[in-house]
Amino acid sequence: MGVVILLIMAVGVAAMLSRKLPTAFALVGMAVAIAFVAGASVTGEESVLDTVIQEGAPALASTMIAVLLGSWLGRLLDETGVASTIVRKIVEFGGDRPTVVALGVLGVSALIGTVTGSAPAAMMAGIIGIPAMIAVGIPKVTAAGTILMGIAVGVPFELPIWQFFSTALDIPVPQVRSFMVKLFPFALAAGVAYVLIESRRRGVEHTWSLRSGSGRPESRRKQLGDAPWYALLTPLVPLVLALGLEVAIIPSLLAGVLFGLVTTTRPREMNKRLLRTLYGGFQVAAPPIALFIAIGILLAAVQLPGAVTALEPLVKAISPQNPVAFVAVFTLLVPLCLYRGPLNVFGLGAGIAGVLIATQIYPAMAVLGLVASYNQVFGVSDPTSTQTVWSSQYAGVSPQQVMVRTLPYVWFVALGGFCVTAVTYL
Amino acid sequence: MTAVPAELPRGREIAAVDDLDLAVRLLADTPTHEGRDPELLRRWARAADAFGSTLPAGPPPERVEERDDGLDRGLLARYRSRPVPTVELYTDTLAAAERLVRRYGWEHWYPPGSLRVAVLAHEAVHERLHHGPVRAEFRRALGHEVLRVGRLRRLGHVAGADEVAAHAHARRAAGLGRSPLLLTAALAAAVDHREK
Repeated sequence: MGVVILLIMAVGVAAMLSRKLPTAFALVGMAVAIAFVAGASVTGEESVLDTVIQEGAPALASTMIAVLLGSWLGRLLDETGVASTIVRKIVEFGGDRPTVVALGVLGVSALIGTVTGSAPAAMMAGIIGIPAMIAVGIPKVTAAGTILMGIAVGVPFELPIWQFFSTALDIPVPQVRSFMVKLFPFALAAGVAYVLIESRRRGVEHTWSLRSGSGRPESRRKQLGDAPWYALLTPLVPLVLALGLEVAIIPSLLAGVLFGLVTTTRPREMNKRLLRTLYGGFQVAAPPIALFIAIGILLAAVQLPGAVTALEPLVKAISPQNPVAFVAVFTLLVPLCLYRGPLNVFGLGAGIAGVLIATQIYPAMAVLGLVASYNQVFGVSDPTSTQTVWSSQYAGVSPQQVMVRTLPYVWFVALGGFCVTAVTYL
Repeated sequence: MTAVPAELPRGREIAAVDDLDLAVRLLADTPTHEGRDPELLRRWARAADAFGSTLPAGPPPERVEERDDGLDRGLLARYRSRPVPTVELYTDTLAAAERLVRRYGWEHWYPPGSLRVAVLAHEAVHERLHHGPVRAEFRRALGHEVLRVGRLRRLGHVAGADEVAAHAHARRAAGLGRSPLLLTAALAAAVDHREK
């Protein structure tokens, strides 16, 4: 029976890889098929409709709310010019030293990455950051990669991600936080190394290009002046509250929204701006929320008693127990989280994590170490992830070029994460 | 490939814009200048133009590589500092520019053979602005103050100003009657027109 479940997973991955089915639909299809194979009834206790779909769909509800609030804060940072002001100041201060500008944009991307992930984060940092880096001589692939590596530096402190891992793996938030704090130095070292090494290797370039400038900035961009300096602290507010003062995630994000609002908006415009950015946040959060609904359903399916019994001997046989083998095997498997592969945390990887937890092959914290480390790779180098596609195309290069350039650095981050996991939790 | 179509757009219209206005447009289109006061942009454009025009001629580029895929990539030239400082010259775009000059009757502004000289001079300025003491002089010439604490004064970078200076230097070095910015704008309009 376990082999049949693995075959279903393989078919699901093939459907995602070949883009026959969107990831969320493929995950739900897999979940239903796995539940039936695991012997679940249609309705009742441990059933397809009542357990897998009805209970699975809202299982990650708190993550969805956190994602929505992160997106809301992101829209606010964008609309009020906070993000663009930070980038502009960095270019002005460091502009004739391209490496300094790239390090600055890396920092801004990291800050934004703590608030919201995926394409919205890339856009906030990249819309001004990428052309500004190119204008000071940073090659296009390096510029696109800098945005992505920067976001990945912030991801260990991205509050919605904490919530996701906490709910999906049933680990308290403080424990998630304790691992993320250990993962952060690797992400930071890799981000800084990327900028320094790539700047050194590729140098600067300037193009005399055929662009027909209108000289008239778009009307909305024109309206955006500089945000006041104290408003630039907005992305730090949720971070300080959640990391420093251990306030819960949702209130921390709400505090960020309120701080951003009062520091940038006149009282009579506050209601309008709050609603407009909230509704804009829904739009931004729709794709990840759809994915979290599907992941919740898949997790419910792989945790059914029948599925656990079927998968346990198989997974046990192939899962390395020795810490050295654990690090070596999972490091070699890093490419499997690219191209929506089976170790993609926002795809089947979540299901595999669910199996590892349900079968108790590894302690929950070790599974957290695996998925959090793979997430660092997926978020930067996967040529199918929205932020990678957006950043590359906006810089005028292909996602594959960015993948090739960034993969060694994020592979190192994953290796670091696996080492910490093996030493601490195995 | 026919680089310049028979029906050319906006030739006179573009030529009617003076070089300084073209430089202001270039700055206004450069990221980080959104919402910037047009008068400030004009002041920076004027300062960058003056700096480039009076910059003494430097050594020619160490290495020049000729390529023929510039029209596809939308490039006339590219300077890259690694692995060795190199100027890539896109000969197809250069030929298209020379055809455009003849068709518009702009030979008195851009004499035959002058464009290649202009391109090499332009890219040489980028190299100097990156690596030499010229960089600090240029920042002082622009005078964009981003921080002042007592007597401490920090001058900031003006994105796009190096491009204006490089064009001004190229104009002088190649003895052009108008800035290469005009020809770039006309060529860009012709390529846009062809693509439509």
